[in-house]
Order: sequence, then C-alpha cells, then structure tokens
Amino acid sequence: MATEFELNGQPVTVDIENDTPLLWALRDDLDLTGTKYGCGIGMCGACTVLVNGRAIRSCITPVEAVSGASITTIEGLHPDGQHPLQKAWVETQTPQCGYCQSGQIMQAAAMLKDFPEPTDAQINQAMGGNLCRCMAYVRIREAIKLAAQEMKEARSTKEQETGAATNE
Amino acid sequence: MSKFYRYLNEPEGIKTATNHESDERLQVSRRGFLIGAAGAGFTLAFFRTGFSFAQPEDVVKEGSFEPTIWYQIEPDGRIIVNIAEAEMGQHVGTALARIVADELEADWSMVELNHVDSDPKWGLMVTGGSWSVWENFTPLSQAGAAGRMALIEEGARLLGVKPDQCEARNSRVLAGNQSISFGDIVSRGNLSRTYTAEDLKQMPIKPATQRRLIGRESRALDIPDKTDGASRYGLDAKVEGMVYGRPLIPPTRYGSTINNIDDSDAKSVKGYQQTIVLDDPTDTVPGWAVVIADSFHAANKAANKIRVDWAAGDTADVSEQDILDHGVKLIESPDKGSIMFPDDGVDEAFTDAAEIFEQDYITHTVLHVQMEPVNALAYEKDGVWEIHTGNQWQSLIIPVLAKALGVNEDKVVMRTYMLGGGFGRRLNGDYAVPAALASQKLGKPVKLVFTREDDIRFDSPRSASYQRMRMAFDRNGNPVGMEHHATAGWPTEVMAPFFMPKGANDVPYDPFSIQGAAHWYSTGPHRVRAISNDLANATFRPGWLRSVGSGWINFALESFMDEAARHVGKDPIEFRLSLLKAEGKNAGEAPNSVGGASRQANVLKRVKELSGWGEELPKDTGLGVATSYGQERNMPTWTACVARVHVNRQTGHVKLEKLTLVTDAGTVVHPDGARAQVEGAALWGASMALHEGTHYEKGEPKAKNLDAYTPMRIRDVPEMELEFIDSKEVPVGLGEPATTVTGPAIANAIHSAIGVRIREIPITPEAVRNALNA
Amino acid sequence: MFKKIFGAVVALGILALAIFLLIAWESSINPISPPGPDAFSKEQIKRGEVLAGLGNCETCHTTDPAKPLAGGRAMPTPFGTLYSTNITPDPDKGIGQWSEEAFSRAMREGVSRSGSHLFPAFPYTHFTKLSDDDISDLYAYVMSRQAIAAEPPENTLEFPYNIRLLLAGWKLLFFDEGRFEPDADKGDVWNRGAYIAEGAGHCSACHTPRNALGAEDSGKAWEGAIINNWYAPALNANNRTPAGWTEKEAYEYLRHGGSPFHGVAVGSMSDVVHDGLKYAPDSDLRALAVWLSDLAQAPGEQQAHDSSATAIRTAQQLQNPSTMMGEGERLFAHACAACHYNEPNNPNTLRPDMALNSAISAPTPVNLIRVTLNGVSLKEGIPEAMMPGFGQALSDRQIASLLAYLRSTHTDLPAWTDLEQQVRNQRP
Repeated sequence: MATEFELNGQPVTVDIENDTPLLWALRDDLDLTGTKYGCGIGMCGACTVLVNGRAIRSCITPVEAVSGASITTIEGLHPDGQHPLQKAWVETQTPQCGYCQSGQIMQAAAMLKDFPEPTDAQINQAMGGNLCRCMAYVRIREAIKLAAQEMKEARSTKEQETGAATNE
Repeated sequence: MSKFYRYLNEPEGIKTATNHESDERLQVSRRGFLIGAAGAGFTLAFFRTGFSFAQPEDVVKEGSFEPTIWYQIEPDGRIIVNIAEAEMGQHVGTALARIVADELEADWSMVELNHVDSDPKWGLMVTGGSWSVWENFTPLSQAGAAGRMALIEEGARLLGVKPDQCEARNSRVLAGNQSISFGDIVSRGNLSRTYTAEDLKQMPIKPATQRRLIGRESRALDIPDKTDGASRYGLDAKVEGMVYGRPLIPPTRYGSTINNIDDSDAKSVKGYQQTIVLDDPTDTVPGWAVVIADSFHAANKAANKIRVDWAAGDTADVSEQDILDHGVKLIESPDKGSIMFPDDGVDEAFTDAAEIFEQDYITHTVLHVQMEPVNALAYEKDGVWEIHTGNQWQSLIIPVLAKALGVNEDKVVMRTYMLGGGFGRRLNGDYAVPAALASQKLGKPVKLVFTREDDIRFDSPRSASYQRMRMAFDRNGNPVGMEHHATAGWPTEVMAPFFMPKGANDVPYDPFSIQGAAHWYSTGPHRVRAISNDLANATFRPGWLRSVGSGWINFALESFMDEAARHVGKDPIEFRLSLLKAEGKNAGEAPNSVGGASRQANVLKRVKELSGWGEELPKDTGLGVATSYGQERNMPTWTACVARVHVNRQTGHVKLEKLTLVTDAGTVVHPDGARAQVEGAALWGASMALHEGTHYEKGEPKAKNLDAYTPMRIRDVPEMELEFIDSKEVPVGLGEPATTVTGPAIANAIHSAIGVRIREIPITPEAVRNALNA
Repeated sequence: MFKKIFGAVVALGILALAIFLLIAWESSINPISPPGPDAFSKEQIKRGEVLAGLGNCETCHTTDPAKPLAGGRAMPTPFGTLYSTNITPDPDKGIGQWSEEAFSRAMREGVSRSGSHLFPAFPYTHFTKLSDDDISDLYAYVMSRQAIAAEPPENTLEFPYNIRLLLAGWKLLFFDEGRFEPDADKGDVWNRGAYIAEGAGHCSACHTPRNALGAEDSGKAWEGAIINNWYAPALNANNRTPAGWTEKEAYEYLRHGGSPFHGVAVGSMSDVVHDGLKYAPDSDLRALAVWLSDLAQAPGEQQAHDSSATAIRTAQQLQNPSTMMGEGERLFAHACAACHYNEPNNPNTLRPDMALNSAISAPTPVNLIRVTLNGVSLKEGIPEAMMPGFGQALSDRQIASLLAYLRSTHTDLPAWTDLEQQVRNQRP
C-alpha cells in the first residue's frame, strides 16, 4: 500500500502498511533517523516533525494520514543545519545527550510561527509536550529566545530592504 | 575504570592501608609514553604494562596501548582524540580532548573526537560516577605536554633553530618570525620517540595562568551533530539483512517460565515472521521470547496480539509497601548489614546521651526513563559477535554476552554509539543479551527494539529505600553521636559483587548504595549501617541511577540535619556550620580533599549570602537548605543548595520557585559544561522530589509509560542561580552531586513555609495535604 | 347491534383507507431518454453545481469517490438502514429516465418518478422551498453528470416502516409543501441566507432534533441533535460557545472550515464545508452568516472577542501546574497544549482553543470523544492541518479524565456522565 508525500522538499513513496506510524516510516524505510522514538504515545515529543508546517507527533500518526502532505524532519529544517534555532542550540550549548533535541527544535520551529516572540508562559505551554530527561530546559528556553531574536532581526532587515511591511 | 578498584582498596570513610600497586589509575601515570608513525600521521599514546620497551611503531600497529588516552595528529593538522568513554550528554570527549589540546597548544577548531568500539585488549571500559575528568586530568595533561615537546623538537629541527628558542601556540611551533604548523611537522618530520615514566613526570605542565582552553569557554564537539539529526544512537543502527524484534517480557524479573505461546492472532499481521523462545544460560532474561518481523511496526503489532502463558516467578505479587516493610524489618534486626567503618564509641554515646533524636525516611522507586529506550542490534560476522548499542560499561556485559553465546570474550565486540541518555541505566548492558540470543537462534542480524513499556518493565530502577537516622545530644544540645541505618536494593551486589568492599564487621557492602553517608560533620562517634534489601534485589535488578545511593542517603541525612537543628532550636545553616569543623578525619588531605570540611562550610556560607537566607518571605513561602560533599570522601564535590518553595495549603501543591546552588569542584575544566551538568543534576533532584517516582505493584513498576511516569517539564523549572567557587584544586566530578541536595532542600523549605515535615519522596500534594491535616 | 356497530367501524375504516389511498396514490410520470449534457447551457450547469454544493448532494449520494452521485451510502436510522439512491443520469440504475417534471416532483413532494413515496431521509421537506429556477438548474447539473450503472443495496427497514405507502400519512403529519416565503421584516441578504439554510442547505435536518417518527421537531428547532453519531450543535441562542456566531465567525467557518472562536469543522460538517460550500460564492456564504448570526442572537464582534478572551483566560487560570495533580490536566499539558494553547486575546484557528470549542460546550461529549480517539484528517477542518488520533495512545479512563478536566475547567456547564463508558462505546 503505497503512500506518497513530500519529504524535506522531495517527493517520496513508501510501500508499507497504512497504519505504520510515520515515525517508523521515516526512520526505517526512508533512513532519516534524526526523528526519535521516545514513548510511542505522543507524550514526550521526541518524534516531532512538521506536517504542512505544523508540529505533529509522528509516533501516533499513521503514514496514510499524511498522504499528499509535506513533511519536514530535522534533517530538512535547513539545508546546512543552520536554521536560527539550530544555530541558537549550538550557541547556547543546549544539547546534552541530544536524543530529544530533534523533537525540541522541530516543536520550537512550529511554535515560532505562531508565537514569533514567545513569552515564558507561551514557551511553557508550547514546549510542555517535549520531555528532556537531561533537564536541559534552562538552555532550551534560552536558545528559543535567542533564535526568536535573530529571526526578528532578519525580518526587520528584510522589511527595510524591501521597503515595505511584510505580511508575516 | 579505577573507581571500582579504588573502592576495593580505599572504601568510603575508612582509611585503610592502600596497595597503590594495584591502583590502575596511578599506574597510568607511571607508564611510559610513545609517539609512533601511523599511516601518514602519528599516534601518541601511553604504553600498556608489559609493552614499555617495544618499538612505538609496533605498538601503534597492534593498538596495544592504553586505550582511554591516545590521539593522532594527521598531516592536514587534524588532531583526533580517541575516546573510550560513553558520550551521554556530559560532553566527556570534549572535556578530555580539551585537557590534551590545552597542553598540546592545539588549535581547538582542528580537534576531532573519535568514539572507539570495545576491544578486550583495552581492559575495563566503563563510564559513570562523574569521575572521567578527575581521573584523567594529570595523565592527559602529561600526554598533551609530551606531544608538545616532541612537536617543538621536530619543529625546531625543521626550522633550523634550537628547541629552547621555540614555543607552541595554536597548532604551530613558533621561533621568532618563523613558524611551522603541526600538520607540516607531521608531514615532514619524524616524531617517533618514547618517554619513560620518569620523563613524563618531568614534562613541563603549564601553570594554570597559561591555560588557553581549560577554564575557558569553548564549544562541545558533539553538539552540532545533535542539532541536525546526524548523531547516531543505538536505535539508529542498521545492517543489511536484519530483522526486527520486540521482546515479550515475563511478569517477574526472575524465575518466570513459558508454558505456552499462542501467536495465532499475530499471523494476520503482515510482516510477522515468528516468535522465538530464548534459552539463556546466564539467567539475564529468563522466560523471555522475542517476536520477529520484517519491520518494527509489524513486530510491535504482532506482539500485542500474542498471548503468552507464563508460570510467574516468586515476586509476582510484591508491592512497594512489601519492600519498605521488609526494609524496616531489616533495620530492626541489629545483626543485619554491614558496618561501613569502625564505630567505636557510638553505643556509649547513645547510652550516655542527655537526649536522643530519631527519624525515619523513605524514598520511592525511581525509573531511569532515559529518552532512548534500550535497544541492541546483534549479529555474527566472520566468527565475531557484533553488538551495536549505546553502553556505559562494556566490560561488565561482554563476559555475560560471551557466556550467553557460548563463545570466548574476544569474540564479542561492542560498537559504540551515542547514548540517548545514560543516567546509569546503560551501565547494566542486560538489554544486549536477548538481542544476541535471538540473533544466534535465528542465524540473522536482529535489531531488538524495546518499546517504552518494555524498557520500563525491564528497567533497573533506583530501589525504594528505608532509612533510620539517630542523633545523641549532650545537655547543651550538642551532637555527641550519630547513627545512620540505610536499606535498599543494591545494584552492585546484584551485578558486580566482586566490587563490594568489606565493612568493619567484615560484611561486604555496596559502596554506591551508601555513598554520601560518611559525612564531614563532626558529630562524635558515627555508625553507618548499610543493609541490602534482598526482597528488592529479588523483585527487580536494582540500578545505578544518577548519583546512586547519595540520592536517597542525602535526602535522609540532610532532612535529618535540618530536623536536628530545629529540634535543638538552632538555625539550620548555623547548626551545620558549627559541625563542619575541618578537624581530625574531617581536616581533608592532599591532593583531592584539601581543606576538608572547611570547603563544605565555605559553600554553605556562600549559598546563605546568595539566597537571602533569613529575609522576610511571603506567606506560605520558605527557604530550605541542604549540602553535600558529593559521593566520595576522596573525590569530594562540595555543594550547597537553598530551595525556595511556595506551598498551596488547599491543594498541597508545592511550587519550587528558586534554586540557589554553590559548587566547589576544584578546577573547572569547562565552565559552561560544568554549569550544564549542575543545572541538569539539580533539576533531576527536584524532579525526583516533586514530579516523578513510582511504586512497585504486582512485581512491576506501576507507571509503565510517560503518561503516568512524569519527570519535570519545562514549565516546572524554577529560577536558578548557580555559582562555582574559583579554585585551582584538583578538578572533580559534576554530573551528580547537585542531584543529591535539591530533594532535601525542598523538603526543608516546605517545613519553613508551612511548618510540616515530609519525610518521603516524591513529595505528593496529597502527602502535603495529609501532613497539614494531621 | 354489535354487528351493526362492527359493520359501521369496518365501513368507516374502509372509507378512511380509501381516502388515504386517494391521497397517498401518486401517478407515475412517463420515462424519457436521458437528455445528455448538451441539453443544458454551461451557465445553467454551473449554477446547478453551486446549488448541489449548497445542498451537499454528493456527500449522501456517494460511497466511492470514483463514482460520484452513484448512491449506496448507508444511513442508519432508528427504523433500520436506508441506502442513498443513484442520482446519476444512468437510465437503469440512476435517474436518467426522469423528466424535469419528475425531478421537480421528487424534490418538492418527495415522490419518485414511478409514483412511490420517498423516505424523508431525502430532505424534500426542505427542497420543496426551492424556486423553479433553482430546481431547473439542479436538474441540469445532475443530468449532465457521468452516468454510472451502480445499484445501491436494498434498504433494511423494519416492518411497518418499510411500507412506502405509509409515508403519505407521515407527510400529512409533518410535511408542508410550498416555496420559500421571504420575511418582509428582514433584508434581502438575510432572506437569501434563510432561503439557502432552509431550502437547499437543509441545515435543520441535522441541527434540529427529530421526533419519534423521524420528523424534525419544530418545537425544538435549531436546538442541536445527534446525527450519524456526531453532535450537530445548537444554532440558536442555546449554543453555549463563549463567542457566539458573529457574522465574521460564521463566514470564516463556512468558507474555510474553521474559525478562531469556534474551532474546526469535523465529521459531516467538514463534508458540508469542503465538498459542498466550496462551490458557493462568497455572497451566499455571507448571506448564510448574516442569517445564522441572527438566529444565534450573536453578540457584536468586540463582545465576542472579549468573551472568548475571558473564557480562555479563565480556563488557563484554572490550570494547576503540577505533574502530580489530576491526570486529565497533566495529559492536556503534555499531549494537547502544544497545539491547543492560545494567547487569550488572539486565538488562532490553527490552534483550536478548547475554551471556545462547540465540542466542549455541547450537551454530549461524542464529538470530543471521536476527535480525541481518531484525530482530524488533513481533509477535515482547516485543510492542510491535522491532528493525530490518541485512540491507541490513551486508555478509556485517560480520555475520560482528560475530557472531564476540559469540561470542568473550560466551561461552567454540568459534567458529562459515564464518560469512560461513552469513550468505550466510540471505539471501533
């Protein structure tokens, strides 16, 4: 049962059981292992990917549910791994064991679309589904704010360059 | 590696005649050093015992050098530092490489890490207990310095100047206006040479003021790959032709047998192949079966449809309360357990006491739930068994794997991966055994994936503990004697009994399960009795979990010190300071515990200043203090913590508002990394005190996934203020000590806030409400 | 004497039956040859397509998307299961032989070409209001579809509900034939909205409860009802969502499948929006919105915004941030809030806020249970956004405690009862 979707900008087809969680399709059939398995019940966020730009727990999402959608994983967030969040994660030396960080970064990327300048309360709520067992939370928060700042500056630079307010 | 040997020879709290010849750590520094050509580059390494006079090239070729500390310099200038320690978030490779690179005067951007696979010839491989940096600091410095000297000598020759006209800086050898890069020296020169142990001792180690990497900010080398999905963890391992397996785990850890397996419903699952029963001569996974399928999804789906009829082992009905009740019984049997060190005078102190104060403390089961559930890929290739998995203690599990597979230990190799969290879970490599057995039985590579539920049911949890604390006071309210009786399941007894030292009464004890009890307070004669809870040991395989025993020991000790202070009407910090006298056995000694109790007093005074101790606070808000020397008297990390909590009297909810932590860890090799470790450790402690923990129920942990097991989330994180004492003393470990102070500090703060004492962790809202209503 | 009385009763009975049969009997209308698509202008077909969309014909008359309008969709009723008919222009299996007169009679009187009465699952009680032009345009659209020779399954109605003749009696009781009559007190836009809603749109077919004989209960008009195992919320002032259906909200929802103060359309309503209303011009949807906000007695836009903000803020303040507290709150914080949290003043349609959602304030938890179990597909709600189902991840008890938590903290309405059992009932 083939399912087609777009993965990090490329069309892909997987011929697997329809109820296979997207997580395992990505990891085992499409060889993108940056997305991690943590609990299998949508409670830890390690498996977070973007479906049409919005964060989804891939461990509880059957692959057939994303037929025709556009999926972004940590490997595709930025072609050179230099998304403002990824840079901020390095800048703040956030990862410890690193296992949850793909999910943290993808969740943060989705959050910044809705909350471009997140408050602590917004971070607490939007990141509350992402468990970090190393408890690197202090830095995760710091990194999100750093990335948000960089993205804000990039937006205002762009606005100045184009001389018109963008529609974000 | 030497930690265990050290325990054998120099157990906590007692000063025995130490046979330094058998101390491997010291041996490392007594070994010679070699530099030998390897391909186009050079390898720099310590000789292994018995190879001291071999040709460097032969040693390099055979790889028969000391494994934890060697590095290569390539013609392109890259410096590859080989790391045998497991990387699990502590950035250990970076820390070790930084020490070498500093002495080597290397350009940090040219330094790379290589995590090596296990090899029997390398001897013990284990990462745990926050000791990597402490143990390797001197030899690594010497190794770096030796490399620098060789590069300067060769560089000088190539530049046509004298070595004493040269210095090394940023991967170049400089002589006036001339300079040559390390890479060019490697390409054009011959670095091959050997140094004796005596030569090494004479190596000019840089003074602290000239350090360029140690103590400065520089980035961890493993981090970039952890932000783009490139890091490879055990779960990412793959090999051609492998099948997937999910274990069917019996109802008890030991003694279950399979009567029947009915997989008729599973046959409709596309990709399901078969279910195999494991036959395990090591009794690591008795009564197990493994579901084999084309994909993990199929294995998982099939496993949920397979009905196994087990004859359960004896512990199928054991509950948390049974384990605790058994603990009380053991404590109340004076003949049980090991007396950790001589306790002359304790009985007299209590007999003669004007007053005796006594309290009991309980900690409940804690699960590792490291983010990456355990897993292993196993297969045989050319007569050698390859085990691909993240592991902290290869040397412990390789003999078990060899026995399980019926092969020699040199036929088992463990491939190294990043660890998706260690926290001690992966010290116990038991999860590799079912993968190996399944692969052997099937004749193909098997990737065994544990679901989170499987991982938890098979966890080696931190055992529930029961402790009784007693203090004898004189007429003036001064402590004159102390007793500490502690019982819990003992990981070392179950998994590595050969590492158990004997106590003063000749009974062996698990050093990890009592560490933290040999405190630096001068409280008169002191008895520490460690008792193994055999019911816990039979019900599950107790695990080493971040800070191990000091996690529960210090909860009891520091809660009790607080209670004792209040009992005699003293301020909890002043009471402690009055007992941290740095006299006699608590005076400290070079090199590791210089200053002794005075350094613990110092962090305590500093945390008092920082935390606003004694100032007016809002209603139902309080401060609590706790302190620790870490885990070992001869590797003390002096830590003090003040917690500020607000308690909601209606709901019983405890909000942790702030943690203030002061740490004296000697020289801090990597300040930012040190902060990260203390942040993580302190929050772990807070998480265990307020958010997580489970109970045993019918022989298994009640919480089986992250819906019910609930470690701290980002919203729970308090404000944190951390400070490190500026010190040039020996660097010590940082990964664990802060774990042990936050729990008691929180319990003490609750008492300050609302006047009730909670002697049990986790501290649930219900317990707070009950205490308020009592 | 007894015989006389008996005879009179029988005679009366026969007379009544005869009168009934006279009323009930409908003539057959002569078959025609299918007119074919060229018989109609493109403009007319296009107009018919919009009407078919407003009436959402395709959803009920299609089972296989590759065979649109070929019928066969099962409609469980309290009286047994009905299967929708094939309304493609296939002469044998569909309505190819139907003249416009026959089509019009079916639409307006609920009588098939052959003269038999149609079950009111086919909402002729509403279509009777359609204008002549609209009937004509719809006929053009339907007759220009691809003919598909597919036979729907036989209805499985229980006796006596399977006797079509009895439907004449049902019609006597519950059916008023007749065109839409505009309300002179309202404007043209409102009347356009009412015409669509009461006619082609047949909104009350789902949103009004039905009586024991399956007719809309006019005494409870727009009170909300369960249909196809979904709850169609009240559309009148009894709708308990904090914001109410302002024109802006209603238009957003009907146009895009979701709105910030209500959440997204799922189940049958998602079909209505995405398969039906997608053809409708903005003017029609705005007209519907005007009519709906009047029916719902919606507040002004500012008040709707303020009430929503208050509702969100109130719910958020009731959160007790402790993992050791209630299971429901914990599950919400760990599994739901990442997507459903909003700033009180600025709720985002793509982050449906539970304090505003119809599913939370409904008298029955069925919608919330079904969405929690099965999620929202990419096609439903706001297209391109989805929610995974938690059916495999959470137990009945956990979902029950999650929903109980939401109901108690996000509304001031009475708790739902038997939640755990209700969750169990909704599992496949």
